Amino acid sequence: MFRKIALLLVALVVLSWGVAACAGAPTPQAPPPETEAPQPAATEAAQPAATEAPQPTPTEVPPEPEEPAVVRIGWGGSPDTLNPGTAILFEAYDLFELVYDSMFDLQLDGTYTPGLTESWEVSEDGTLWTFKIRQGVKFHDGEPLTAEDIVFSYNFYQSHEDFPYLPVYTEYFESVEAPDDSTVVITLSEAIPNMESQLVFLYMLPEHIWAQYDDPTAAVEFENDDMIGSGPFKMVEYKQGEFVHLAAVKDHFLTPPKIDEVVFQTFDNQDALVQALVTGQVDMITEMPNTAVPTLRNAQNVQLVTGAPLAPELNDIIPNQTTPETCPEEDGVCSGHLALRDRNVRLALAHATDKQKIIDVVLLGLGTPGLTLIPDGLGVWYNDTIQDYAFDIDEANRILDEAGYADTDGDGVRQMPDGTNPLDFRLYWNNDSATNPRIAELLAETWGQIGVKLQPQALDPDALTSVCCPTFDFDIILWGWGSDPDPGFLLSVHLTDEIPTGNSETGYSNPEYDALYAQQATELDPDKRREIVWKMQEILHRDVVYIIPFYSEAVQAYRTDRFKGWITDQPKVWFQDPTSLTVIEPVQ
Amino acid sequence: MRGHRYLLNKIGWAFFTIVFVILLNFFLFRVLPGDPARAGLRDPRLTVEAIEAIRARFGLDKPVINCFETLNPLRLGSCRVNPLQTQFFIYVGNLLRGELGISYHTNRPVAHMLVERLWNTVLLVGAGQVLSIFIGITLGIIAAWKARTTIDYTALVGSLMAWSLPTFWLGIILLFIGSRQLGLPIAGKVTPGGNFANMWEEWLDIGRHLILPTLTFTIVFVGEYMLIMRSTVLDVLSEDYILTAKAKGLSTFQILKDHALRNSMLPMVTIIALNLGFTVAGAIQIETVFSWPGLGQSIFEAVGRRDYPMLQGAFLLIAVSVILANLIADLLYSYLDPRVRAS
Repeated sequence: MFRKIALLLVALVVLSWGVAACAGAPTPQAPPPETEAPQPAATEAAQPAATEAPQPTPTEVPPEPEEPAVVRIGWGGSPDTLNPGTAILFEAYDLFELVYDSMFDLQLDGTYTPGLTESWEVSEDGTLWTFKIRQGVKFHDGEPLTAEDIVFSYNFYQSHEDFPYLPVYTEYFESVEAPDDSTVVITLSEAIPNMESQLVFLYMLPEHIWAQYDDPTAAVEFENDDMIGSGPFKMVEYKQGEFVHLAAVKDHFLTPPKIDEVVFQTFDNQDALVQALVTGQVDMITEMPNTAVPTLRNAQNVQLVTGAPLAPELNDIIPNQTTPETCPEEDGVCSGHLALRDRNVRLALAHATDKQKIIDVVLLGLGTPGLTLIPDGLGVWYNDTIQDYAFDIDEANRILDEAGYADTDGDGVRQMPDGTNPLDFRLYWNNDSATNPRIAELLAETWGQIGVKLQPQALDPDALTSVCCPTFDFDIILWGWGSDPDPGFLLSVHLTDEIPTGNSETGYSNPEYDALYAQQATELDPDKRREIVWKMQEILHRDVVYIIPFYSEAVQAYRTDRFKGWITDQPKVWFQDPTSLTVIEPVQ
Repeated sequence: MRGHRYLLNKIGWAFFTIVFVILLNFFLFRVLPGDPARAGLRDPRLTVEAIEAIRARFGLDKPVINCFETLNPLRLGSCRVNPLQTQFFIYVGNLLRGELGISYHTNRPVAHMLVERLWNTVLLVGAGQVLSIFIGITLGIIAAWKARTTIDYTALVGSLMAWSLPTFWLGIILLFIGSRQLGLPIAGKVTPGGNFANMWEEWLDIGRHLILPTLTFTIVFVGEYMLIMRSTVLDVLSEDYILTAKAKGLSTFQILKDHALRNSMLPMVTIIALNLGFTVAGAIQIETVFSWPGLGQSIFEAVGRRDYPMLQGAFLLIAVSVILANLIADLLYSYLDPRVRAS
């Protein structure tokens, strides 16, 4: 009997393929015929202690009450791990934002809003922060989240120094205490102006689960596949490199989602990602090759949106400026071309960089001209009052002529003022970049017009690190940084102290800049701090420490016939962020 | 007695090959320049202490082997270290205990990741191989029997074309057609969050996901099998005993099945064994086009991330399966053709 039913099922499905094949000819929509079980999510029920899981009752929702609203998201990557301590890839942080809560939430306009904290007080001298914690918040396994969990989490991050990123945010914590269940007191070693940005990525872990993994090895090897947090979404199923299946926490204290489930599916192939959106297999894609943009702009029921990414990437052209005085004693080779120590040469290179053409050719127009090392996506910290060096080949030639770099032997390449060493630069970039080879080509073209020759070569990131810093065995590198919402990290790259650590790739050293950095790190008045941060950008721009070709845009797209309410009117675009996923709702 | 010696000889060689692969595997990755602890980890937030701690956790702070701090010939190390405290002997020791190490990228045990991926690859490659072997052999026999007819030429040209198609390109074309015209899924092994009512539904869903990658695989491999089968059968058919069989009045089917097929299987067994071994590596391109969570895809990712423990584990697994497949082929020979054993 069972076999017969099974056979019948097979026959039915085979038939349905056939029908889909015939019917699906010209219309690209036809989503795959899902054989959905006519019952609420089985996984939902299996979840341990799902606290009053919102059972959709047939009387409340009119047409098909059992069909859960599942948002399918296609992305090109997948988290490296679900352990917040050891995660590096931004895909992992996207999930942490959905599954965990933290003291503050980062909004798409760069501001911070209270998360787990109701209200807070800061002492006169700025070193004592007292947070009132919201009551009644529960972890996904039903246990209450108390001040003790918060104290545990902060101490946990601080005490594990081989966690790559998060311990840095607890750098100034002298002590964290919970005088009672609803109060957390953080004592800082010194007053800092950016407390919110320190707390925003410190996710609250349940002490009753994590306490047993305190041992350093256990802490990094804990896979955390159940991912018990307190955020607006909870983990249902995770398959590394395949998909992440989350369910909404309908009674979340702050942002209860309107949808029921979210599925992130990994695509190793970007063309497939675009196809999946066009054919309706996914409802939103977080990335795409820029070449797909025109296709998707014209696609039916698809809306394409561009804007600054949540964590903007900085692309930079890095001239080696180390001098015998700044060269790191231990590792330094410092073989940079002498000409690059001269601001005039760097200035001429900046004038000979056609940023708009690079954007048009390399990014297919999806970017804005770069200015300073603080990207425009960082909001108020970005100093847009700086006047950039215009693309002007004649001006660049004039600068080099006046500075004495002449082409004495007539081979089209200028020499140093003393007639030696032609301006022939080694140009390296990381070979996992799709854009840098094209940028190198365009630079060779325009810099060639001012008598500068390039020897372009792609290196794998490891090899690039080993020639870069702190070795300084290069002339020019094309590379980049990820960014933090706070400008402090990017500004720290050019400190004299960072030359031997390998974070500084320029070898730039300026006591005035170093002093300003120390000043902004303790300036509590936001406006005054902004002034200092702007001044630092002016100094770096004046000295042409970096040449920033562009700020690239995030390009995302969603299907208009599935869900509505995606946040598109903010300076940043990040649809997989809680800001969108907690407010979107199904299109009726 | 002779049979036993043949067997032991073959197994002995397989064992030594595996030992050699283990040695090569270890040193191959360490000759590469750079520091895996820092690969993909350039960030001002990453403190010097964190890097040191990560290096210590993965044992990268220990010398590679006596006299060599790293395999960089410019930086020799002390020879007076305890050999058991070098990366090489720690690696060998762990292998003997069946441990493949912890992935740098995911912090998970490599063995778990490999096993997870291995079954997906076996599913895809197995389905593709079975289909292409079956179709290839059948087509090859038919083409040889009908040699120099329209059927033969059509099969021949078709196979040559299929064999020479770039895998990646064919995959993309099938992906476009499959998703747009047939509504087939184009990524992954199963619909995530599919809420399947029972096992059947889940298997049907996996089946639907298998269609496009298996089809790509079959088209790419069928040509090779068909061409080899056709030429060996043609050889066999010109033998005198076939003429005798015809004279005895045996039917075409009997001649093909009992006389031609078995005698044509020797070269096929070689090719199939070799292919089976190599395809454990996964059809890297097919898995990447269709985001199939197999071994090939994870090797591809591990290369990009300098995940040495994962690469070492995967390479070892591939080497062992190629060697085992060859061993089985050798043993099958002696069954198919007793002359091999005698020589």
